[in-house]
Amino acid sequence: MKAILAIATNDLRVFLRDKSSYIWLFVIPLAFAYFMGFVSAGGPGDPKNARPEIAIINNDSGFMSQLFLDTLGSEGLNPVSSDSTESAKRGLEIPEGFTEKILSKEEVSMGFFKVGSDDDQRAFLSQVVLARAVVAFNAYLLEAATDSGVDGPLTEAAIRSVMEKGNPIALDARFAGRKPIPVGYNQSLPGILVMYLMINLMIFGGAGIASERRSGALRRLSVFPLTKGELLTGKLLGLMFLASVQIVVFVLLGQFAFGVNMGSNLTGILLTLLVLSWVGGSIGLLIGFMITAEEKVVGLSLIIGLPMAALGGCWWPLEIVSSEILQRVALMLPTGIALDALHQLITFGSDFSSVLGSIGLLTLFGLAANVAAVKQFRV
Amino acid sequence: MKGAMALLEVDGLHKRFGETTAVDGVSFQIEPGEFYGLLGPNGAGKTTSISLICGLLKPDGGDISVGGKAFWSDPKSARQLMGVVPQDLALYEELTGRENLEFWGKVAGLSPKDAKSRATELLESLTLSDRANDAVSKYSGGMKRRINLGCALMHRPKLLLLDEPTVGIDPQARVNILEFIRERVNEGVGILYTTHYLEEAESLCDRIGIIDHGKLLAEGTLADLRSQIGHDQLFVIEGAFKDVERSGWSDFNDSFRVIQETDTQLVVAASEKRDPADCLKQLLALPVQLENVTLKRPSLNDAFLALTGRDLRED
Repeated sequence: MKAILAIATNDLRVFLRDKSSYIWLFVIPLAFAYFMGFVSAGGPGDPKNARPEIAIINNDSGFMSQLFLDTLGSEGLNPVSSDSTESAKRGLEIPEGFTEKILSKEEVSMGFFKVGSDDDQRAFLSQVVLARAVVAFNAYLLEAATDSGVDGPLTEAAIRSVMEKGNPIALDARFAGRKPIPVGYNQSLPGILVMYLMINLMIFGGAGIASERRSGALRRLSVFPLTKGELLTGKLLGLMFLASVQIVVFVLLGQFAFGVNMGSNLTGILLTLLVLSWVGGSIGLLIGFMITAEEKVVGLSLIIGLPMAALGGCWWPLEIVSSEILQRVALMLPTGIALDALHQLITFGSDFSSVLGSIGLLTLFGLAANVAAVKQFRV
Repeated sequence: MKGAMALLEVDGLHKRFGETTAVDGVSFQIEPGEFYGLLGPNGAGKTTSISLICGLLKPDGGDISVGGKAFWSDPKSARQLMGVVPQDLALYEELTGRENLEFWGKVAGLSPKDAKSRATELLESLTLSDRANDAVSKYSGGMKRRINLGCALMHRPKLLLLDEPTVGIDPQARVNILEFIRERVNEGVGILYTTHYLEEAESLCDRIGIIDHGKLLAEGTLADLRSQIGHDQLFVIEGAFKDVERSGWSDFNDSFRVIQETDTQLVVAASEKRDPADCLKQLLALPVQLENVTLKRPSLNDAFLALTGRDLRED
């Protein structure tokens, strides 16, 4: 075990000693993720988990409008002042005397309006969630009124107490017949991470082995007191250490800089990415055992990695791919399997158990690549 | 031979690559504190022999024992006893000399603390302490060779296999490395040293094996090898031999063995031990115009020439 760790940590040190590594590990992937996320939606724009902005013109000065705005927030909208939003597609005007009218049990109408001419998916979703919020708010009022009796006062504290209990029945807003589409950084960040993990591990792994075969370092390792299994495990672990560095940076920046929800299913996300790293590292070792010229290793890794990334949905959401065959092909590739699991965990709010199948499939890919690398092993 | 149990025992080693026999029945043994040289031209089978001994290649036939145990019965234990210095500079050039040493020490099983102290010790012995924290890529060829050697010594092996460790370095660096290796022999380390430099084999080795075309043609001390070809004396005859037909020189052919010949020179050895004065008299009486006849002690190159028919220096 000591020898395995020595090999792995040494490889990580060698990789990170090369300054150009940082460009391929962090700078370019993050730039791509930012650019692609910005272009596709300009931020965390998943229809279910993200919080589309809604423009608010609030003419009321009482507590009821504030409670209503809180309800909008808890239902998944981000209410912002109408003069400080650029991305809101829909808006709502709360009339003057809103609080007083509700307290005196009069009917109140709010003004709904469109912002701009876009009628995209985010706009329709805002409408759906708005309707849900109105229903929920009415339910809160009704329950609070019931609790306080027919003539009892309807207080802010009483309504808040009802709101904190949550809804016994929730409305899950979806578009009929299809899954929501990951957009913005929710699509670009995991997509680019999956793509660069695979390509970097193939290049670093393959070129590292090729270079050590050329220099004789691998031959030297082979005559030290360690088994072939220990040597290969050390090499693979070194690549997974490298991948872990990239994963940690992406997860932290994803959560805190890009606003992508990494924290809810962190264990599942990390496990998926580590198993994918195992697959990428094993393919890298295999390539290194087959080819000794480093430039050819880079070329082959790109030839394999880029189509895998594109077909696997790293560049655009698979949901917008019209061909069902291509959608099925994606789920036969390690990139597509990993990305599907990540979307489940990050975007669609699924739990860890729902991606166990994907992790199992990736494990099979890892085992197959391992067996091939062992068979191809040469110094 | 010092009478101790052999540290390395190679018996009838065979290796073929397709139609080519790279190693053909090589046998020898090395004892603790013995410096054994395997001398041969490029392609003779030296590196293949070392690769077989350290388990990089599997032999097609023959046995290898390290420390009294068959190598392939427990390769890991056998490798724990040996250090291998490859001909290639198998180093991580982006790392420092110290980092390289510590890494190879840890791979050999040393704890980080032991690897650190052993690296300090070796850097001192190899006179590299002042450059210990420089990247190996900034080292001279001789310094790289020294670190390359040090990496094999981190775990204090009892048997050291050195595959032409002084190739391509300047004479002073070579002297430093050879002195360092000699000190390890004095500490009881057994050495297998392959080289095609005659001077190194002559000055360093307790015993020398001459290998060519995969076969070990002869082995022994320098004196043994010299005496095998000319009873410790060779005659160098200079004259016009270009168109001379020697088949009629029956006395000469019966009494001498030609070691080397050119148009102007013959190097011959007496077939049996005789008084050199008698030999000289017989040679001076040859029916050819002679310019000079000299007597010399056979060198290792002469032995190599007599055994292989080729001059190692021409290689």
